[in-house]
Amino acid sequence: MLTTTFASLRGHKRRMLAMCSAVLLGVAFLSGTLVLGSTADSAFGNLYSEANAGTDAVVRSSTDIEADGVAQTGLLDASLLDRIGATDGVARVAPLVERAGQIVGADGDPLGGQGPPTLAGNWITDDQLNPYHLEPGGRAPESGNEVVIDERSAEDGDLHVGDHTVVRVPEPVDVEIVGIAAFGELDSMGGATYVAFTLDTAQRLLLPEPGKVTSFIVGAEDGVSQTALVDDLHPLLPDGTEAITGTALTAEQEEALQSDFLGFFKTFLLVFAGIALLVATFSIYNTFAIVVAQRTRESALLRALGASRRQVVGSVLAEGIVVGLLASALGMAAGLGIAKGLVALLGAMGMDMPRSSLVVEPSSIVVAIVVGLVVTVVASLVPAVKASRVRPLAALRDVAVDRSAASRWRALAGLVVTGGGAVLTVVGTVGAGSLPLTGLGALGMVFGMVLIGPVVARPIAGLLGAPLPRLRGISGGLARRNAMRNPRRTSSTAMALLIGVAVVGTFTVVASSLKAYVDDTIESSFAGDLVIVSDSFSGVSLSPELAGAVDELPEVESATALGGAPLQVDGKDFFATTADGPAMSKILDVGLTDGTFDDLGTGTVALSDTYAEDHGLAMGESVPVAYADGVHEDLRVVAIYDTNDLVDDFVIDKSTYAPHALQLDDYVVMIDLAPGVSMERGEQAVQAVADRYYAPDVQDKQEYVASVADQIDQMLAVIYALLVLAIIIALMGIANTLSLSMHERTRELGLLRAVGQSRRQLRSMVRGESFVVALFGTVGGLGLGGFLGWALTQAIGKAEDTSLPFALPVGQMAVVLVVGGLVGVIAAVRPARRAAKLDVLAAIATD
Amino acid sequence: MPSTQTLPPRTAATSPAAAVRAEAATKVYGAGDTAVRALDDVTIGLPAGRFTAIMGPSGSGKSTLMHCMAGLDSLSGGRVMIGEIDLGKLSDKQLTRLRRDHIGFIFQAFNLVPTLTAAENIALPAKLAGRRPDRAWVDTVVRTVGLQDRLSHRPAELSGGQQQRVAVARALAGRPKVIFADEPTGNLDSRSGGEILAFMRRAVDEMGQTIVMVTHDPVAAGYADAAVFLADGRVVDVMDAPTSERVLDRMKRLDAPTPVVAPALAGAGNGRRS
Repeated sequence: MLTTTFASLRGHKRRMLAMCSAVLLGVAFLSGTLVLGSTADSAFGNLYSEANAGTDAVVRSSTDIEADGVAQTGLLDASLLDRIGATDGVARVAPLVERAGQIVGADGDPLGGQGPPTLAGNWITDDQLNPYHLEPGGRAPESGNEVVIDERSAEDGDLHVGDHTVVRVPEPVDVEIVGIAAFGELDSMGGATYVAFTLDTAQRLLLPEPGKVTSFIVGAEDGVSQTALVDDLHPLLPDGTEAITGTALTAEQEEALQSDFLGFFKTFLLVFAGIALLVATFSIYNTFAIVVAQRTRESALLRALGASRRQVVGSVLAEGIVVGLLASALGMAAGLGIAKGLVALLGAMGMDMPRSSLVVEPSSIVVAIVVGLVVTVVASLVPAVKASRVRPLAALRDVAVDRSAASRWRALAGLVVTGGGAVLTVVGTVGAGSLPLTGLGALGMVFGMVLIGPVVARPIAGLLGAPLPRLRGISGGLARRNAMRNPRRTSSTAMALLIGVAVVGTFTVVASSLKAYVDDTIESSFAGDLVIVSDSFSGVSLSPELAGAVDELPEVESATALGGAPLQVDGKDFFATTADGPAMSKILDVGLTDGTFDDLGTGTVALSDTYAEDHGLAMGESVPVAYADGVHEDLRVVAIYDTNDLVDDFVIDKSTYAPHALQLDDYVVMIDLAPGVSMERGEQAVQAVADRYYAPDVQDKQEYVASVADQIDQMLAVIYALLVLAIIIALMGIANTLSLSMHERTRELGLLRAVGQSRRQLRSMVRGESFVVALFGTVGGLGLGGFLGWALTQAIGKAEDTSLPFALPVGQMAVVLVVGGLVGVIAAVRPARRAAKLDVLAAIATD
Repeated sequence: MPSTQTLPPRTAATSPAAAVRAEAATKVYGAGDTAVRALDDVTIGLPAGRFTAIMGPSGSGKSTLMHCMAGLDSLSGGRVMIGEIDLGKLSDKQLTRLRRDHIGFIFQAFNLVPTLTAAENIALPAKLAGRRPDRAWVDTVVRTVGLQDRLSHRPAELSGGQQQRVAVARALAGRPKVIFADEPTGNLDSRSGGEILAFMRRAVDEMGQTIVMVTHDPVAAGYADAAVFLADGRVVDVMDAPTSERVLDRMKRLDAPTPVVAPALAGAGNGRRS
């Protein structure tokens, strides 16, 4: 049987190519994402161990507040340095000041802040403790505002030794570059920008109090282990400080990176790999179904000659294994290409990988090949078993079989599963919302649609193809009939496209709803004329002096800033909003249930009504809070306001927070123009001030809404880019199926050509069939996507404790519909051309 | 045995013009040592309004001749004329159009498009041309083949004989210059086969249709007005008013170029052979 297998494979190269390509693409995507994941892991993973290479122990504050992925720890006294240095076992110790600071490039644009952090601190003079090394031609900072910057920033910002530029801390500070440093072998630490002052300057600029540091890094004497060192340090540590080993620190930092970024990134990639594989599975199943149907005759002949059913199935299985192995191996190689492409894509979006060489784990190879093999074998098994059941003589009699698949059981099962999935999806949107439930429901609906597809394929294809006879005459009519003649095949071909379109539809709906939500929120809550919004989410925010400077402009009635303050209340870490109470109420249109913002001063707090209710707090009561510097304070409730989305649940005055702030930063400045001042004049005046502080551009309400919408669209672009690959797989699946279908219908095509169908008419017939099938998948996908998009929007809203509006992006969905139809037409181009090129005589020859 | 290559001149006055003419038609497959001459310098005219059978053993070139005359295959040498049209001068598009508008086909099997009803199959060439079929004529044809009650059925719902009748109706519906039938009764039992041949006969007699049929079946040849015999790519004989016995006899002699008489028949048929 093995010889027949290989002979069969060799003899039908095109078939094998068709089978291979489907598996190849699915495996390529899976292996690409696996390799990208492991590359990211290794690239980022080594960063921290390298950064902490010389660090055997770290002494730091034990208070830390972590909210929204940002941790703020308390400060230490600089005087601790001597006591540490005198301890047994300590060979080296250096004080560390580590804060956020943004370098401004030679062209006046701030660098970084779109992913990796923007770091500022002191230059560590001890070579063994400092992971950064000076490039030749520069030196360490020695006084004043001399700085060393990282090599990547020097390149990106076109800065050189001797240049003068500005660093935002967040106020702009003039600096002189005296040195450029590399991080080990790399030009930066994972894309993070770094600027180092002298210790004195760093303390002065970056810390709120003199004589403080962020931590101490300690190197051990030869022969002293890290744990021993920590033990030695323990007795001399004052309250509120702790010492941990370098290894523990690395582990901590790597864990934080995983949970904040890498973990999410990899899950994201795997979900898409899953979608691509699901789409590929349909293509593979389809291809095998057709191939096996074509070979029914061969199998029947073998059976008539005495081969057992098991041998026949075995031969198909063997073919499946061979194809699976070959395609998986090739797919693995193609996946490396995809991984490279994704690295480049991420780089183009500002998220650079520290190293560009791919890391391929053996496990990735094994997983990719095993998955490809399993999927191929399973996909080939079902049609193989079915084919082996055909009676030998029946198959040899060459009947043009048009199998209809409308069985009552299938219809019932399909309805039940789809309905069940829909119910589950909706359940996930009520009450407190449950994303996992909604997700499960979505999956159920997909399965249900797979089941019910063949049942509805005929009537729906008939409906969708109705205009074809009118547009393309009899060829159009034939195309429509062809799409209807084998509902099972039509359905499974369309299913791959359906899934891709459904995911696109879901995300499009969610994005459009989010944008509508932002629009509503800003419309309803924002009462000012202009805003300046911080655009870096991983670095330094707006300078605290900015609001005041803008306020002083004659064109401006009032300007006020909102900032963020990490607090711990009731054991929970979260971000409170800092504001200038009286100024805020002039610009912000937030309804008050009780009290007034004008009363918000030092030692007071304003709460949202939801928060007050949840925690049983009323006007005049005390709320105990803890700050990152370790201080505890009781705040008095002076106002309760309507829960809204512009400010959080907790608002305190800037004066309350300032003494405990580790680094002040405002994230938005809201501006009300003086009466009679035109928008243009006002924007110009404010922009001039903003430029002085290297702040982002000032925007009016519409520009602001548009910029937020832009960000949402950017995220959407990444998702779409990944989905394009899934759509391509679906497209190839349709082309494959079509090709093989045409091959099956060779005689029929020959007959049509013999009685006078022109080549052009034949091509149009093939295109029409493909168009209907693709439309079937697209319409189904849009329907499912719209529904799931609604459900997801509701579930997200519930999870975030708000309610998101449902905005159906009709225009975009129409575009998707057109694209779907185009996919059908494009997929048909080659099969149509090949079918039209058939030699009529060879086609109709009776053998 | 006379090796004529044109029709016997017995009815010169009433002999109709040739609907299809092959002139020095040659078809060679392959090249050099492996070259096969499927047709070797064949010149023949097939009369209009007549039922002509083309016969010969396998490998004689009869199918090749028909394919070339029908515009389905091209000659290596010589030419084929349908009426005044030289097939060799036509482009693929023109050939397709010729087949659509002026030629009818009846194949041995797989004649119909499975997704179309009988009525739609009959109207297919007209629809491809974007023409409205002639209602009255199509009704006549349908009644001739006796398919009035089966028009809305798909091929899968028709018997083999009924399918061939649909094919005949389709071929007749377009009133083509010539209908080419390739072993039309090959897949049918003798009764259905006889029905088909009778329809074809009626079409020639009552409607003046020209039919050229390739067959190896002597019974089928008996329905024709003339039988052309091919062997090794050449016309070796033309028989007028063939009967199944005479054709069978002639075929036997085609297979064996030197007369080899089977012992059983030697005494029996000697006197009666004409």
